[in-house]
Parts: sequence; C-alpha cells; structure tokens
Amino acid sequence: MKKRILFLIAAVFVVAAFAAAADVTLDVKEHVLANGMKILMIPKPGVPRVVCHVYFKVGSINERPGITGSAHIHEHLMFKGTKVMGVTDDAADAKIDAQIDELMGQIYREKFWKTDGDQAKIAALQKQVDELAKAEKAFIIKDDLWTQYMKNGGTALNASTSQETTGYYVTLPSNKIELQMLMESDRMMNAVFREFYSEKDVIMEERRLSENRPGYFFGEQVNAAFYTASPYHWDVIGWMDDLRKVTKKDLTDFHKTYYVPNNAVAIYVGDFDPAAVVALAEKYFGRIPKGPDLEPIRDGEPPQYGEKRMYGEGPAPTSLQMMFHIPPAGDPDAQALSILASTLGSGGGGFRGGMGGGGGTGRLYKNLVRDKQVAVSASASSRPQWYVGAFQFSATPRLDKGVKPEDLEKEIWAEIEKVKKEGLTEEEIQKAKNRGEAMFIRSLGSTSGLASQVGRAELMRGWRSILTDLDALKKVGNDDIKRVAAKYFVKDNSLTAIYTRKGR
Amino acid sequence: MKRTIIAILGLLVIGAGLAPAQAQRPSDLTYPPLKYEPPSPRDFRIVYAGGLRAYVQPDKSLPLFNITAIVNCGDLYVPKDKTGLGTVLGDQLIKGGTTAKEGPAIEDRIDFLGGSLNFNVQDRTAMLTLSVLSKDLDEGLATFFDVLRNPAFREEPLKLAKARMIEQLRQVNDQPSTILSRAYDRLLYGDNAITWQPTKASYEGVTAADLKAYHAKYFTPRNVILAVSGDFDKAALKAKIEKLTAGWKGGAPAFPAIPKTFPNPEPGVYFVEKAINQGYISLGHLGIEDTNPDYYAVQVMNFILGGGSFTSRITTKVRSDEGLSYNQGSRFTYRWGLPGTFSGYVQTKSSTVGYAISLILNEFNRIRTAPVSDAEIETAVNFYLESFADSFQSSQTTMMSFANLEMTGKPMDYYKTYRAKIQAVTKARVQDVATKYIQPDKAVIVIVGDWEPCNKGGEKWAGPLDKLGRVHKVALTDPMTGQEIK
Repeated sequence: MKKRILFLIAAVFVVAAFAAAADVTLDVKEHVLANGMKILMIPKPGVPRVVCHVYFKVGSINERPGITGSAHIHEHLMFKGTKVMGVTDDAADAKIDAQIDELMGQIYREKFWKTDGDQAKIAALQKQVDELAKAEKAFIIKDDLWTQYMKNGGTALNASTSQETTGYYVTLPSNKIELQMLMESDRMMNAVFREFYSEKDVIMEERRLSENRPGYFFGEQVNAAFYTASPYHWDVIGWMDDLRKVTKKDLTDFHKTYYVPNNAVAIYVGDFDPAAVVALAEKYFGRIPKGPDLEPIRDGEPPQYGEKRMYGEGPAPTSLQMMFHIPPAGDPDAQALSILASTLGSGGGGFRGGMGGGGGTGRLYKNLVRDKQVAVSASASSRPQWYVGAFQFSATPRLDKGVKPEDLEKEIWAEIEKVKKEGLTEEEIQKAKNRGEAMFIRSLGSTSGLASQVGRAELMRGWRSILTDLDALKKVGNDDIKRVAAKYFVKDNSLTAIYTRKGR
Repeated sequence: MKRTIIAILGLLVIGAGLAPAQAQRPSDLTYPPLKYEPPSPRDFRIVYAGGLRAYVQPDKSLPLFNITAIVNCGDLYVPKDKTGLGTVLGDQLIKGGTTAKEGPAIEDRIDFLGGSLNFNVQDRTAMLTLSVLSKDLDEGLATFFDVLRNPAFREEPLKLAKARMIEQLRQVNDQPSTILSRAYDRLLYGDNAITWQPTKASYEGVTAADLKAYHAKYFTPRNVILAVSGDFDKAALKAKIEKLTAGWKGGAPAFPAIPKTFPNPEPGVYFVEKAINQGYISLGHLGIEDTNPDYYAVQVMNFILGGGSFTSRITTKVRSDEGLSYNQGSRFTYRWGLPGTFSGYVQTKSSTVGYAISLILNEFNRIRTAPVSDAEIETAVNFYLESFADSFQSSQTTMMSFANLEMTGKPMDYYKTYRAKIQAVTKARVQDVATKYIQPDKAVIVIVGDWEPCNKGGEKWAGPLDKLGRVHKVALTDPMTGQEIK
C-alpha cells in the first residue's frame, strides 16, 4: 500500500518551477506520466482559450538516405485517421487497404526495382488499385479529426515538421481540452495511414511549390554541400526520388519507433486549471504504453579541411551567401556567436516582403548598404540547431553600380577581420544583450509562440535552457567575441555560394 | 513534507473529480458550459485634447508598452505618376529622421532599448507601431510622436531608399504567386490605383516635397486613431500623450475619390507564361464589401465551399480525393470601401491544371444548385461561434480591432452582434448567397505556368485549355518601365 502511495506521488507530482529573468518569471508547471510523456502547463487566466501543442522529438535528421522526407510525410499521415477516427468500418477498410498495399508493392517492384519494368503490368495493377481506392471511399470519413476540431472552435489548427521536431497544434475553447487529449492520444496509439499513395502525390506537389521558388534548387544543393555527414544534409521535404519510392512500411516503422510517449511533450498555454489538465493527461496520454528508449542521432559534422565554393545561375536575384560551421545550441560559444549575428546583421534585409526588413542598425547594413552603397541588403544570422550549427552571411549587390557578389565577399571578410582584431564596441554588446532580454519578455506575452518555444526546448535541453541561455548571453564579453570570430570565421570552415541571375 | 503530501492529495481528489469516463471518440464527450462576452469598445475609448482618438487598455501582466497609430492614408490616395510613394513613405518616415534627430540615431536608440519601431503603408491605412519595455515608456512615447508628427524626409536617406527600391524591382517577376495576384487584380479592377505598379520612373519622381505634403495632409490628429496597451496608468498616460500632442493641428483631410466602376473582363482563360513545373491558378470575379448585410452568410458559404480548409469541399475533392495539390480552396478578400474579390485557387503540376480547374468549377456550380448538408452548415456555424473568443487573446490586438472598426466606419457593435448574425445563417441563405455572389459564367481563369504541358492536359482531363473558354495570352511587364515584354 505504501509503495502504491509513493508511486502515485511520483506520478502526480506537479512541479511549479519559477525562474526569474529581469523582473518577470517564466512559470512552467511540469508533470511526467508513468510512460515518460511530459506535460507542461503555462496558465494565463483571462480569455477562455487554450493553446494545445504536442511535440515529438523527431524530424528529418532522424531519417536516412532512401527515406528522406519521411518525418514530414508522417506528419501528413497523422491526419488520415485511426482505428476509430475517419472510418465507418475499420475491419472492412483495413481489408481493402491491405489489398491496395499488396498491389502497390508489386507496382513499386516493377517501377523502382527494375530498369525495364513491364508498363502494361503496371497499368493493369494501377487500374485494380484505382477501383479498390474507389471502393474504400465508402468507409472513409474525410478529415474527421480536422472537422471535429473545427466544429468545436479549433483555430491555428496545423502541424509542422522541422529538422529536429514535429508538432501538432490546435487552440480550443478552454472547456474542450479533453477533445485534444482524446484525439491526440488516439492518433499516437491507433494511427492508420489511409490514402497513403494519394497523400504522397500531395506532398510531391508541396515539393514542387518549393521548387518553383526561384533559387530553391541552388539553395538545396548549397545546404547539401555544407553538411556532408550530418543528416541536416537534406531538406525536410526530402529528395523527390525518395518521395516517389518511400513505402507505407517505411512510415509505419517510423511511427512505431518515434511516436512513443517517452519521445513526446504536450504543452498547454491559456486559461485552464492545471490539476484538471493533469487528470485528463493521466487518463488519455497515460493509457499509451511506453516505447523503447531512443538513441540520439549519431552523425556529427567532420571538420571540412578545405574551403568550399559553389556557383549557380538561374531565375533568382544575384546574391552572395557565406556559411560557417559553428557548434550546436548550449555550447559555451553559442551566445557570443548570437551577439555577433545580431550586431553585424540586424535589420540588414530587404523590404516589401524581402529578407527580414527591420531597423537597419547592423554593421553590415550601415557599411555596405547605407555608407558604401554597394549592397541592396546585407545580413547575418546564427543558427545553433541541436547537433550542428551554421552561421550565415547573405548579401545582394547593387547591380546598378556594377557591384559583383565577389566584391561583397571581400567587404564582408574585411568586416570579419576587423571583428577578429577589435571585437565589438561595449555599446554594441550591451545592445545585443538588451535585445535578447526584451525578446524574452515579449515571448512571455504570446501564447502559441511561448508554447512552441518551451515545448521544443523541453525535447532537447529542457525548457530551463531558455533561461540559462539568457544568463549565458549576459555574461559574454568582448574577448569571447574576438575568440569565436577567430575560431569559426576561417576559410577552411566555410562555404561560399555565388548565384547569378540568368534570363528573366 | 507533510504539507506537500496534503497538497498533492488535494490535487488528486480534484483530478479524480474532474476526470470523466474514458471516451473513445469525440461524440462520447460532453463539455461544461462556457459563456464568453466580448469586451465593449466603449469601455476603452478615449478622446484626447485636440481630437485624437484612442482605444486604451492597461495590462500589467508584463512590463511592456505597445502603441500603434492608425492613419487614414495609403497607396490609394497617391496619383499614378507618383506610384510607389506609399512604399517610400513606409521606409522614410523613420529612416528620414525627424526635425530634431537623424533616422539612424532614432533606430539605434530604439534598438539599444530592445524595442521596435515600425511603419507600414497599405491601401488606405498606414500604421506606426512602437513596442518598448515599460521602463522606457517616456522615451519611447516621445520618439513615437516625434516620428509621427515631425518627420524630416532628409535627402540622403531618400536617395538611398529610392535606389534600393528600384534595384528590388528586378525581383518583381520572380515569384509565380505575385505574378498571378497582380494579373488577377489587373483584370478585375482595371487601370486603377489598386493595380498601379511602381516603376523606375515613378520611384524617381517621388520627392521629399511630395512626402512632406502627403504627411502634412494626412497625419493630423483627427485622421489618426491610437491603439495602446501595456503596463501604465491610464490617467498618467493621458497627461503624457496630451503633452506630446499639444499644438498638433489639422482636421479631417479631403480624400481623393476612389473610382467604384470596374471593367467587366471577358470570361475565359488568361495565361501568363513562366517556365515552372506547376500552374498557379486563380478563377473568379469581383466579390463584395464587408459591410454588405450578406457578409455573414457569405462567410459561412465560403467556409463550406473552400475556405474551411480540410472541412471544405474544394480541399476534399482536389487535394484529399485526387492528390492534385497541396494548396487549394476559395476565398473572398475584402477592401475598405471597395468590393473585394472572389476566387477559387490551386497550384498543381502542369498536366493536371485543366483537371483541377474543372473540379473547382464543379464545386462552384454544386454549391449554387443544391443545398448544403446539415453537417456542413453545423460545422461552419459552430466554427465561427466557438472560435469567437480567439479575436480577443491579446490586449493590443483587441485595441487594434476596435480602432480599425472606428477608422473604417463599421458599426461599433460589430463584435457584440457577430455571433447572432452567424447563427442566423440557414441552408437556404447559403444557397441564396452562393447563387448571388458566385457566377461561374462570368469567371476569369488566370493561370501562370508553362503553356505547352498545361494546354496539353493529362489522362483525366485532356486539353486544350480553350475548352474552358477563349484563351488570352497575357504578357509580363518589364518592372523597370511598366511596359509589356514583347
């Protein structure tokens, strides 16, 4: 009996953690279910709405060659129903679905395993598939989960996949959190990937939308060239060839591996009673069995040992991009690099939907855009990421003045060398710190933004890393700035990409 | 320790009390009632000395201060030969500095404080927005009104801005989606301030004197409404604002007439050539104003047709059933004082362009000719009713909504009566407004894509595209000159 009480205490223990930054606090209530799933809560009394997000520690970096794009395909498939949702007769539907899979398996063998597949056979098999798909429609309730959310006042309904995480979002009236708990736990346990093959067509259209953004193909290659060993090498959308060939079994295996409660965080921000949310989470998410422990990804990025350069031509603006490998988030150097990006690059982007906009207070804007007038835009950014980071300079030249990307490259190197030697001014460093702190305070005022920031942080370094990062930012001095500039901004650690507009 | 245990046990009891039986599907769930009344604009409205109106909500939850000035001015009040003045003003109100301070000094200081100060110009409204920590309220507020009242439009920053904007014209024909929306608006609105595009010459023609005159005309206390929220005392803020706006003069300006007659383009296909692997498509005609009494029924109808994302007919048919596209649907857009547009839209690979259009046209016809189902209208109406409180999640957004209502002359009980008006929409009303406001025989079908494969079609819908109506080839314009590219 005593043991049981202890177990309950452990299971229902709600930690109210207060962590102060400036004069305000980030107050996240935490609860861990017996199956390892974490429940985070940030109550904000007032308007009766609750932002409900579920995050999984899985993204495109958990893929491998041949199944790139799977994390994102999987995110789409999570809307295709479960054993109880989206179907009128699961058994009858499953029978047809299995037949479709069997036939599609044969088609894939003809199409993708052979160089001279039998086209007539493929056409005949496809005809059978089309008929079965038509018959299956009788059992499918289209977009059932989506409709349930919508008619109950769900907004900001969406999901997204990044390199590192996948999130499922809805904002509901505060009396309807149970609907989210029911449907999200149901699709973790009981997902059925109906209409898998037509959904792959949808995703290929999604990829084509990216491809039709001028410069996309070059950007994809630049990224692939920058990361050689690490799985940040491919885009989240995946290579088109993999999208064609990936199988339903690849996706069900993916689901079984990563969509386990011990790899998930649910977060609630809004007007609710934490005790009630804990009780519901125990009831719904608590019923899912724990999965095996998950090993982090293995591939880091080896040293480059040589400068990389890429040249491309096409329908996008002439531009320069310079990328440098930097350490991941949480590294002692990360905050100094963040201050460098902020000071060099702030507000250096374009306007009218261009690249960022902003106040134009960064060094690159002042020197290259405003004073020397050699660039239309010039900016810098620092992306630490979870496992490997990147620091990037971007600039577009003033073609009307005959400036070339290579000219801007020299200008940016001159700025870099100056920083290596002199660092930044005290005022610039203080400004970056003030901005970091103000940004933190503003983030507390949002609901979905806060849910996203806290939920994702929890998956890797814990939500308190938001606060420890802010503390680390405040401790950066000019020696740190000079040191990191000298350490990372070297040619052997860089990729320079030059793109020239060709045609109209 | 004992106290902790009691607290935890208490929590358990509460939890057990609230925990319902294990539901398997949403229909098993019942929800406690939830009553929500929206805030009333009247409770926040203030008129400061000089006639400056404001919606103000103190909110002490965070040490922040937010203020936006909504000015009734914009691109539609600019003569044709000065097209682009709004964009230049958007950049130069801050960057051009004030009579007391240069632009960079203002930007550097706000940035140092971790604040933000932005200005942007739309069709008929422009917004200056400041956000600072509340400890910096006095300094931020002084800068805000200095920028709003005393911009200097210095020559050097203006010259740079114009040169950058002209350089950026090179990108105007890059994105298929922008080409499409420009071509669609041009067909529906004709040669009008709504559709005029800046060129090298029109940017070059914008002078500091133009900006000063435009500013002097429209930036008057009676032509501005403020939206304010954050950590402050209402009376103290009033004193500060009145001090900073003392001597600010000027009444309501005379606004240029905005034409209200538009061409009736010939229905059919309008094709813009671009070497891409999909067709970007919009099809439809002019829509309605949001002051139209049918607005609520139109919202519900469009939700069912193609505005309700995955619960809408176009998405179900084109995306979910056929796998033709990632992005598709229908929309009514709205403009203050002018009709908006109605359109079906989709982007799909070249070979299925004709097929996707035919499916959307089928849905246009279906919603006109047959009543929607009970389930469809229930989902649509419930969505609007149940999500209503979303509009009031942030104090600043709420103040902005109220300020916008007043600025655009909408009834101030808009939010109060909103749910009743949505609730009153019936299946018959849905069909009425579908018949009235969706007219497939008047639709223009605008496509940006690669002509040969789009025209050829595919298995399920073989071309040519003129099966959908007479095909007009539309030339791109040279962004520098505004002339058609031959």
